[in-house]
Amino acid sequence: MDFGAADNGAMIATRAIHFAATAIVTGTLVFPAVVANPALKSQEAAAKLFRMQTRYVAWISLAATVISGLAWVLLLTMSLSDESLGEAITSGALRDVLSLTQFGSVSQVRLALAILLAFCLAFERSAFWRWLGLGAAVGLTASIAWTGHAASTPHTLGYVHLTADVLHLCAAAAWIGGVVSLVLLLAAIAKIPASPGATLVYDAARRFSTLGMLSVAFLVLSGIVNAWILVGSVRGLFVTEYGQLLILKLVIFALMLAFAAVNRFWLTPRLALRSGKTEQPEALRQLARNGTIEIALGLAIFAVVGVLGTQHPAIHLVQ
Amino acid sequence: MRLLSLIAVIPLLFLFATGEVGAHAFLDHAEPRVGNKVAAPPREVTLWFTQKLEPAFSSITVTNAAGERVDTGKARVSGTQMSVSLRPAGSGTYHVNWRVLSVDTHTTNGNFTFQVGQ
Repeated sequence: MDFGAADNGAMIATRAIHFAATAIVTGTLVFPAVVANPALKSQEAAAKLFRMQTRYVAWISLAATVISGLAWVLLLTMSLSDESLGEAITSGALRDVLSLTQFGSVSQVRLALAILLAFCLAFERSAFWRWLGLGAAVGLTASIAWTGHAASTPHTLGYVHLTADVLHLCAAAAWIGGVVSLVLLLAAIAKIPASPGATLVYDAARRFSTLGMLSVAFLVLSGIVNAWILVGSVRGLFVTEYGQLLILKLVIFALMLAFAAVNRFWLTPRLALRSGKTEQPEALRQLARNGTIEIALGLAIFAVVGVLGTQHPAIHLVQ
Repeated sequence: MRLLSLIAVIPLLFLFATGEVGAHAFLDHAEPRVGNKVAAPPREVTLWFTQKLEPAFSSITVTNAAGERVDTGKARVSGTQMSVSLRPAGSGTYHVNWRVLSVDTHTTNGNFTFQVGQ
């Protein structure tokens, strides 16, 4: 048995960018709903600046999501038809991939969700459009599950796998996209000298830590289910390329958890100290720095995930 | 500086991109079974895979000992199963070549033989 070839590097980079961009656009919509809007209720200036910055990030991420999504479809078509870009479009191969494969159908649905999300971002002053946008973003993230390993797992186990994958994707988006938003919030507060910075961030950080802990719980539980289905044994984790990449992903995840724990149990309580203490500005600076490191680690995880999806699941290689 | 080092890790991870891109639908079993001998020419060949398949991009060809195509053409795909009907073609070694696309968009191909008669 041998295996079909594909443009590995371009495909992996495209997938990684797509996953990261989708997670960030979703997280930047989850964060205001759960964290920022309640925390910024009485801080109009900071709220305005934060909304402007998150909207900017959301638009860029959505554009990256759409472009990388289209690139993914084209790269797959070129790989399946063994044709150049122009040939793949004119020969009917692209039409076949879009109309005759599950990946093509899901890609069309996801493009429709991205367009709906763009409308929602454009009309976000109304609560209806904001909530509809949040729904579209969650759908855009969750539907990635139907393009990967979970989609091809047969029988009842396939439903378990899809459910775990949907939860995993949404939890990852809420966390990573949430950290991006938290860093933007810190930047917005730092730019407004009159705002009660530390108190406001204390409130936001506490709200975000609830969202973060829920996300981590879902990530761990769904990750265990996915590993059980795709790796199946401790040996598979160590002797296969898939397993070794998963270990790398887990190590990066553990580092992210360590930074999140420092933020929650060390830095956040320092924000609650009486204002004027030198600990507060220092804690704010460290929170912003740790948040940036968490984002970098999160992007590294997306890079690993970009590779993982192209590998043989370990369970197929280890008896 | 530490942040810069962490960010520098990301392009390194992309270096994994130079590795082989895998495929995921493995042949689980077949009827007639791989390498086996059957008394009479089978009416069809059926293959079962480890993952769900895309019908439009999955195919089987079967040739007899003389190298002539004995399958009737388009394979039937349902979930993880793929079948193709055969024309009566006498005894000897039959070669089965398959190529499938799993729903997670990875192609796999392979081949096996089985014996008829003798």
